[in-house]
Amino acid sequence: MLRDTQISLATSLLEGSMGALSQIRAGKLSAEKRLDVYRHNVFSNLRGALKDIYPVVLGVVGEAFFIHAADQFVLSHPSRSGDLFQFGSEFAAFIQAYPHAAELPYLADVARLEWAWHEAFHAGDSPLFDLRLLAAITAEEHGQLRFILHPTARLIESPFPLLRIWEVNQPDYAGGMNVEWDEPADTLLVRRDASDGVSVLIERVAAGSFAFLSQIQQGATLESATAAALGIDAAFDLQAFLLDAFRSGVVVGIARK
Amino acid sequence: MANYRSIPVDPDLAGIGLRTPHYQAMLATRPPVGFLEVHSENFFGDGGQPLKYLGRFREDYPVSIHGVGLSLGSTDPLDIDHLRKLKRLVDATEPFLVSEHLCWVGVQGRFLNDLLPLPYTPESLEHVVCRLGELQDYLKRPVLVENVSSYLEFVESTIPEWEFVREVASRTGCRILLDVNNIYVNAVNHGFDAQTYLDSIARGSVGEIHLAGFQDTGEILIDNHGSSVCDEVWRLYEHTLQRFGNVPTIIEWDTDIPALPILLGEAEKASRILARNLHGTASAA
Repeated sequence: MLRDTQISLATSLLEGSMGALSQIRAGKLSAEKRLDVYRHNVFSNLRGALKDIYPVVLGVVGEAFFIHAADQFVLSHPSRSGDLFQFGSEFAAFIQAYPHAAELPYLADVARLEWAWHEAFHAGDSPLFDLRLLAAITAEEHGQLRFILHPTARLIESPFPLLRIWEVNQPDYAGGMNVEWDEPADTLLVRRDASDGVSVLIERVAAGSFAFLSQIQQGATLESATAAALGIDAAFDLQAFLLDAFRSGVVVGIARK
Repeated sequence: MANYRSIPVDPDLAGIGLRTPHYQAMLATRPPVGFLEVHSENFFGDGGQPLKYLGRFREDYPVSIHGVGLSLGSTDPLDIDHLRKLKRLVDATEPFLVSEHLCWVGVQGRFLNDLLPLPYTPESLEHVVCRLGELQDYLKRPVLVENVSSYLEFVESTIPEWEFVREVASRTGCRILLDVNNIYVNAVNHGFDAQTYLDSIARGSVGEIHLAGFQDTGEILIDNHGSSVCDEVWRLYEHTLQRFGNVPTIIEWDTDIPALPILLGEAEKASRILARNLHGTASAA
């Protein structure tokens, strides 16, 4: 049966078992070698997809380490789509639990940042916030507003100097390689630049603003998001922040009730 | 909906598989190629750079949408999310051709993301015919189906590959995207005569041709799209045009991608063969 043949071949290719051997015609080349050709193709495609999405992780750990981790990952978290851009979403969680990465505690956060970058690169477009929306709303209703962030916006928090680690591992980076490890936690906003619609930006935002944006992204009202921001930073300036967020395309709309 | 103008496809002008390293050079020079073919899955995102660039190219060139990930031959149900994204892309891009591979890329929800061959049996034939019907019904348009390269043959296969391909086309009405390099690679790898393959495919059933380079490991030919087209494949291409007439053709180059002029040089070579065929053999046939 076709299904049995497919399951047997897929299992042999991914798991290295030899179950499919009896289904393959030998010839001038043995069935084992024929399986190896496919196994090589499959793993290089999947590794390649991970390398494309996680170049900083690759740069930090090097080729051999990366390939070993990638091959383990392929087995524990197989690709679930014919679209390879979907593959690798759990790589950060995998690294977090990967014993060989234990000495690089920041590595999983680097992977989270790179996945956020990848998602932001492909996510939907949006026009800027239409300020006329606000004109139709009375002052009493403001507290209950629920804003919408740009579809590309991703928020990443890390106890490590994540942005600095990312910067020094960029191919065009030419500065010094020192990383200050005792800086405060990084609170980062990843999104696409509204002015060109295509460039992905990684920005460090103040802790209060980060709390505000996190709340908004989870669907909180303006009132409770503001309270969360003020709880972290008593000087959080809502008006100034919102105006900037509208102009720069971080906040793009108001959710319907 | 984009509503692009319809750009006529010049049958004498070969096209190229468009890959990201060439975007800037293509936009800067706008070379005269017959059409551009892109991999559909690279444009499955909701927005951003890939779609923006594709839109710019679509304004100047006819575009063909070529899928590598639908897993047409898998015994898993067709992935509805994949179909939805494909249809969205096709609707937005208005391509003159849409194609997929005669293969499977995953089973039991696990994807290998490689073009895996089918056993050539009546069961597989029935299955693929059914799936192509589903795909065309969903997209509400005809699709082309491409013969794949392979490095193994299944013991259970009872139908020669060329008969299988011919039957798929005849039962579904789908035209074939004939990859001439894949025929050559398979002929060497499995020991058959490439001309027998060509002669078995019905005249009028080929809607597009692919040309590419392969890697010779000494033991087997690997279809890696990583070099120029070899002389034997150029000769086979000439035979293909003699049998099927001039068909939209592209050069595919996916690994060790060269500078754009080298890729364009390969396309020009194909165009010269197309021009010769148009004014020579085709009229004599």
